[in-house]
Amino acid sequence: MSVNGQSAPGPQDPARAATTPAAGPVPDRAATPQLRKAVIVGGNRIPFARTGGAYTKSSNQDMLTAALDGLIARYGLQDERIGEVAAGAVLKHSRDFNLTREAVLGSALSAETPAYDLQQACATGLETVLGLANKIKLGQIDSAIAGGVDSASDAPIAVSEGLREVLLDLNRAKTLPQRLQVLSRLRPKDLAPDAPSTGEPRTGLSMGEHQALTTAQWKITREAQDELAFNSHRNLAAAYDAGFFDDLLTPYRGLARDSNLRADTSLEKLAALKPVFGKSLGSAATMTAGNSTPLTDGASTVLLGSEEWADAHDLPKLATVVDGEAAAVDFVHGKDGLLMAPAFAVPRLLARNGLTLSDFDFFEIHEAFAGTVLSTLAAWEDEEFGRTRLGLDGAFGSIDRSKLNVNGSSLAAGHPFAATGGRIVASLAKMLHAKGNVDGRPARGLISICAAGGQGVVAILEAH
Amino acid sequence: MTPAQPVILGEMPSLSKLYVNAAATAARRRVLGTHAGNGLPATRHEVRGVKAAVENLTAYQHLIGESASDVLPAGFVHALAFPLAMSVMNRDDFPLPLLGMIHLQNRVVQSEPLRFTDALDIRSWSEDLRGHRAGTQLDVVTEVRRTGEDAVSWRGVSTYLAKGVYLPGIDKPSAAPAPAAFSAPDPTALWQLGVDTGRAYAAVSGDFNPIHLSVLSAKALGMRRSIAHGMYLASRALADVGAAKGDAFSWDVSFEAPVFLPARVALDINTTQGDDGAWQRSDYVAWNARSGRKHFSGSVAAL
Repeated sequence: MSVNGQSAPGPQDPARAATTPAAGPVPDRAATPQLRKAVIVGGNRIPFARTGGAYTKSSNQDMLTAALDGLIARYGLQDERIGEVAAGAVLKHSRDFNLTREAVLGSALSAETPAYDLQQACATGLETVLGLANKIKLGQIDSAIAGGVDSASDAPIAVSEGLREVLLDLNRAKTLPQRLQVLSRLRPKDLAPDAPSTGEPRTGLSMGEHQALTTAQWKITREAQDELAFNSHRNLAAAYDAGFFDDLLTPYRGLARDSNLRADTSLEKLAALKPVFGKSLGSAATMTAGNSTPLTDGASTVLLGSEEWADAHDLPKLATVVDGEAAAVDFVHGKDGLLMAPAFAVPRLLARNGLTLSDFDFFEIHEAFAGTVLSTLAAWEDEEFGRTRLGLDGAFGSIDRSKLNVNGSSLAAGHPFAATGGRIVASLAKMLHAKGNVDGRPARGLISICAAGGQGVVAILEAH
Repeated sequence: MTPAQPVILGEMPSLSKLYVNAAATAARRRVLGTHAGNGLPATRHEVRGVKAAVENLTAYQHLIGESASDVLPAGFVHALAFPLAMSVMNRDDFPLPLLGMIHLQNRVVQSEPLRFTDALDIRSWSEDLRGHRAGTQLDVVTEVRRTGEDAVSWRGVSTYLAKGVYLPGIDKPSAAPAPAAFSAPDPTALWQLGVDTGRAYAAVSGDFNPIHLSVLSAKALGMRRSIAHGMYLASRALADVGAAKGDAFSWDVSFEAPVFLPARVALDINTTQGDDGAWQRSDYVAWNARSGRKHFSGSVAAL
């Protein structure tokens, strides 16, 4: 592993790295014009369904529209012209080039509401929240809806490269002999379709195989992963039983709860599952279907606004979007694990805001795999990682585990890639609002989402 | 007017059996010269606890261009109740031949949304047998309630014409009035309807009437080509009006010239908003994109 600190401005500048721990350029707050706040009014999602389940025949547009219509109904937004709607999907049909705008046109919002699509793999949903919150802070828009959707069931299937080239050339051919010549290039293997995969294009490894490398590198035990998965199911089930999701969710296609949730799971049941990833590694394989997130279908939305807009519409102000940060790691040759970018993004974000891990009341760390969460926490607790990779004096720090994913997360709820950010933001905003003030300051929450391509997006929310 | 005598069917009747039975009845009447009489049956048919199949709902929504929400589109409810409405016209004491009936008009009042999870009680009867210059017409009324509730959530009135059938004492043939001049407006949409349009709608609606399925089956019934289902066309216009119509609305359509497949159909939707900008009504008209001949027109209006 290289020892180059990500925080260092130049490739070989250890002195700078040591003196400005983990911080990027610190903006001169005094010189920055006062920005207004972007508040989270609320959110709505449909229950997440395991792939091949209740939403098998529902398209991304169907699910995004359903989540949007539930939000519109909850907050009385019929015929409302929203400043901008941004959403996206990771697995996307080419015909869905204007997915979000089409969902808006199919919804009860004013047809004069503009929309755009965004794609940043699993960070899509959180990035829509951050981008729209920034526009609100700048005064460009007064209201916004962020969201995301994904269907692993209704995934796009492409024709093979061979067939695609033949079809395109056929279209360009002008004479019958030319057409026949083009068609003669077609081979039986060209008729096999291309299905999308969760494999990384540059390594050929699936996301699970990548995480297995990271899990082994950080010596995360099977027991610790199973315990995290167990807590996720237990916490999500308890949240449903307490009615936590009553104003965060609209039933769809007969589902009123996430279909992946196993309220009756136990550590024994999880321990009995066979490993599915990392079986070819030297060490014992630890990642099972129980401590990895299954493919899921679903959609989520978040309603944002300026304080004035929320007040004018007599809407709640649950939390503010304080700040966000994206990071990426050089995973291709194993310098860092594929899903470890948040381990770098969070220290930078906290340094910029003058905060430490002890200043937070809730941690929402997306559970792509239990091993992802535990590897990130292990990296933050590691002296060596803190010094050499983060440019700190020692370990970045540890979190109070009782504040982690307290209402469950992706291991239990499932993870329709682009929909996870909206799920987390709306839930955390509600939790922060309920918590109110802590020690004379607004309750504070940290969101961390890893993404394919070695990326990660993290954010800070505060109770309003 | 609800006929007093209910006949409660154990389940939704099968449309294919109804069509076969209708053909047999037509043949029997032709051979025996028997006639069912001059009045409509004073009986209503009823099925209770009907539920929509969700896969069928999704397929319908995708075909028509509706958002695939849990709410049943008004045209889907029509398709769901259609076998019961047909059974009313397939009774032995029904005075007109079911096969060859022409759908002239359809009026729906959707008072509140119905979801696929709702169990539905559906009742249907025929009424208002009356003359028409080209035959005899009547209304088939269908009401849909949530099981156990009194309020009607959906009410449809379909007007059918038995062309060339003149019941004694009701009407005589007369010359058609000069058709009202129609000049096509600028279209807001253009539909390319392939030859499989009828089969696609048959698959989601269950209405496998041969006149919609193929050139051959249509020719067997005296049509030169297959024609699009009228309710398919009207339902697409309803979907095009969009979510602005809300959950409670009326939806009317009058059919003029049939749409022979394949076809290019031009559509104009003209929406009226109130002073407050709220949607009030959308009037639509569709015509043959090449000849300019009017196919159908109607409106969707707030209740």
